Amino acid sequence: MTRDELNNQRLVKEANEKHLHFVTRRHFLKESAMGFGALALGSLLGGCHFGDSNSYAQTLFDPAHPLMPKLPMFPGKAKSVIYLHMAGAPSQLELFDYKPDLMKLDGQLCPQSLLEGKRFAFIRGVPKMLGPQAVFKQRGQSGAWISDNMPHLASIADELSFLKACSTDQFNHAPAQLLIHTGTPRLGRPSIGSWVTYGLGTENQNLPGFVVLTSGGRFPDAGKSVWGSGFLPSVYQGVQCRSEGDPVLFIKDPQGMDRDLRKASINAINQVNKEEYKEFKDPEILSRISQYEMAYKMQISVPDVMNINDEPQYIHEMYGTEPNKASFANNVLLARKLVEKGVRFVQLFDWGWDTHGTSPGDAVDIGLINKCRQIDKSITALILDLKQRGLLDETLVVWGGEFGRTPMQENRDGKQMMFKGRDHHTEAFTMWMAGGGIKKGFSYGETDEIGYSAVSGKVTPFDMQATILNQLGFDHEKFTYQFQGRPFRLTDVSGTVISDIIA
Amino acid sequence: MFQFLGHLHPVLVHLPIGILLLACLFLWQSRKDRFAHLQPSINIILLIGMITAILSCITGYILSQTGDYDEDAVNLHQWMGISVAVVSIVLFYFRRKTYLHKWQLPLAFLLILLIFITGHLGGSLTHGSDYLTQPLENLFEDSVTAVKRKPIPNVQEAKVYTDIIQPILQEKCYGCHGSRKQKGKLRLDDSVSILKGGKDGVVIVSGKSTESELIKRVMLPKEDEHHMAPKEKPQLTESEMTLLKWWIDNGASFSKKVKEIAQPDKIKSALTALQKINEEKKPDLDVPQTPVEKADETAIQLLKDSDVVVIPVAQNSNYLSVNFVTANVSDKTIALLLPLKKQLIWIRLSNKPVHDSMLATIAKCTAITKLELNNTNITDNGLGYLKEMKQLRSLNLVGTKISLQGVMQLKELKNLQSLYLYQTNINSNEWIELKKAFPKTSIDSGGYVVPLLPEDTTIVKSPPTKN
Repeated sequence: MTRDELNNQRLVKEANEKHLHFVTRRHFLKESAMGFGALALGSLLGGCHFGDSNSYAQTLFDPAHPLMPKLPMFPGKAKSVIYLHMAGAPSQLELFDYKPDLMKLDGQLCPQSLLEGKRFAFIRGVPKMLGPQAVFKQRGQSGAWISDNMPHLASIADELSFLKACSTDQFNHAPAQLLIHTGTPRLGRPSIGSWVTYGLGTENQNLPGFVVLTSGGRFPDAGKSVWGSGFLPSVYQGVQCRSEGDPVLFIKDPQGMDRDLRKASINAINQVNKEEYKEFKDPEILSRISQYEMAYKMQISVPDVMNINDEPQYIHEMYGTEPNKASFANNVLLARKLVEKGVRFVQLFDWGWDTHGTSPGDAVDIGLINKCRQIDKSITALILDLKQRGLLDETLVVWGGEFGRTPMQENRDGKQMMFKGRDHHTEAFTMWMAGGGIKKGFSYGETDEIGYSAVSGKVTPFDMQATILNQLGFDHEKFTYQFQGRPFRLTDVSGTVISDIIA
Repeated sequence: MFQFLGHLHPVLVHLPIGILLLACLFLWQSRKDRFAHLQPSINIILLIGMITAILSCITGYILSQTGDYDEDAVNLHQWMGISVAVVSIVLFYFRRKTYLHKWQLPLAFLLILLIFITGHLGGSLTHGSDYLTQPLENLFEDSVTAVKRKPIPNVQEAKVYTDIIQPILQEKCYGCHGSRKQKGKLRLDDSVSILKGGKDGVVIVSGKSTESELIKRVMLPKEDEHHMAPKEKPQLTESEMTLLKWWIDNGASFSKKVKEIAQPDKIKSALTALQKINEEKKPDLDVPQTPVEKADETAIQLLKDSDVVVIPVAQNSNYLSVNFVTANVSDKTIALLLPLKKQLIWIRLSNKPVHDSMLATIAKCTAITKLELNNTNITDNGLGYLKEMKQLRSLNLVGTKISLQGVMQLKELKNLQSLYLYQTNINSNEWIELKKAFPKTSIDSGGYVVPLLPEDTTIVKSPPTKN
């Protein structure tokens, strides 16, 4: 072989290899379009058998305008929800569920009848009873019992509706949080905020419909799944905003790129995507186009609404906020601003309520009081501020944890502990709701003399979810999404609207 | 086993009804030549009908022995049922004797009549006497609530049993434990029967609600088969349960007045709630009850093109809600609202440069019940236009330049329920005057303060010392 021939051979080989680089996955998809077409046809024909059994659910998702405002099943009392979740589970026995009889039993061994057949996260053997570690008083005209740990909230007791006998069936944080927010203790279902934005869309197209704010230094144990969209289109998942620095990472245009250039580049990208859509008709492409447009608008609107520096001084004093610092109070003020701008669902997670008594920081008579002080003023300010702005009537505020705490003192590994703490407890805890067409100054449900379990008015996470959906105008039994061949709902197969607390 | 046979009665009865009616129909039709070929089948149909009628009588008798039903009503149904069986036997006999053939048609007619009467009586027994006609009554009545409870003007003077307990029992229990039916041999519609109890003994242990079967049943979880009221029926509310318990704990008296019985805190709120039952059940008037025709689609589209959110308030409703949150407000866009004036009920113009002349246009949309004008440029002059909005129930004027005189122009708005006036030019000493002018309206003046307490900023390091 001559040198020239060898050279040619090498060039041909190189050219062939280079050519292979251009054969991408996209080529593969294009070449096998016929096969995919057949697959698609199969599923289309398969779909025919179902008819339009669920025409309501099918019309809810429009990929080109996924967040367009949509109408509820019946006129809802509430238009938005602010859900305040105290991750770790606050102790109802030091806050709202006053049990003087438990005080008398303080220090005595827990009777066997309360322990038989039960499982606790940390309690082993026979623990001692622990009396309420707070001073309780009756507040307002409604006479609700609220401890001195929440002096501000106590002053607005007549605005709240307490659910005193909440219960769950999960005694670990992550599953319990998932149950309360997604309707199942396992991963994979959409969160309540996703359901709501899926069902109602949002009125302000320049802002996300479902915003999540976290504080307390850690995420809730169940992670981002508690605001995930599960099997719903991903556009409905909660948008987590940071309360320090840029609310959303990379929201500012990079240096050297001005607004017009940004606009031009987004237009170009969308143009390419539109061509793609013409060719493939994949609705996800439309979804992507609308996401680009929304992101462009949000570059202006999000930093504006997420900035609390412009709020007047008296508002900062009212909420106890400190700008440019991450805090629960700042998040609460943001929640009010977001709802004012038409955001549908705002969810706040505050970590640090898991008062086991392993250290001063998680003792019910030390750490818990400090946690209360972090939230008390701002939550009270939120309710009053919404009220004076005429927003409380159409904003449902929900407060609660994922479960309750035991009337017994925790004895981790069967040993007496240094500090006073309580273990996870599924059978009784307190939540409250306010505004959004809920009764004012009302209390529903009752626990036994020591606050161990519900005596009347027992409420499950499903009942709570059904009630929230009801206030927004949804029948939780009919609000479904077709997935894996069957309609799914937030409340799975149970849940009753707590009609007693509805005004 | 015996009881099981009794419970078969409601299933079995449908057989003679259908089969005997069919026999009568064939009998009548077979006189014509065209249907003469039906003749041979009549006897066998009649025979089967006759047998099932007899079986129904037997099972019915067994069922009546459980004592769950009102004796008088059962009696009539029983004898009518027996006569159906007898007449069908006679008819069967007549069919076999040629000389009696001329009597078979009148007899068949009698049989049909008896079947209808018996069927109706049986239906009334199981579903209640008003079951058939109830939907018709609803046609003429605008509210569906069966029992209307009146508010008690002064609850302390009220009689515990007659004014509080009896209405609860009447609404939730009489259906199955009243004059017509006595499930489990229990009647709750008079004091003697209540104290007597039912099949399983007494239901009320005076002074001990937790030992009273009545309370136990009510408190059982809804899924429990012994739970009362049955889970498909209307349930007792939380406060109704509290009141029942309270009544029994305090001796289950049939004559005492409320003020003669000790009232723990819990009961007080339940009692005061009784004074305003009707207020609570008021229909939701945020959305008018009379339906409206569909709004003009092009008019809606024009608004949407200007970025205004226009959306029906609910499915199957033509009433509209409008939000300008991302839209520009101008005289032109406001004018676009006019074609929708019949349907438009909720409108939000918050934080927009709305000025007085626009209010003149908005005021023409007289169906509006909720108007949000907070943080707009409106003044007292503009507020004058709103006098015409008679349906207005909620008005938000927070953060506007309006003053007392401006708001006073609206005192003729009888439906106005909430008025938000935070950060307006109304002086602190003018609120009293305002409240007098709007006696039925809840006025929110805002300006709430959450004081800074020393504890708010201190961090606890060790448990507080107990005093």
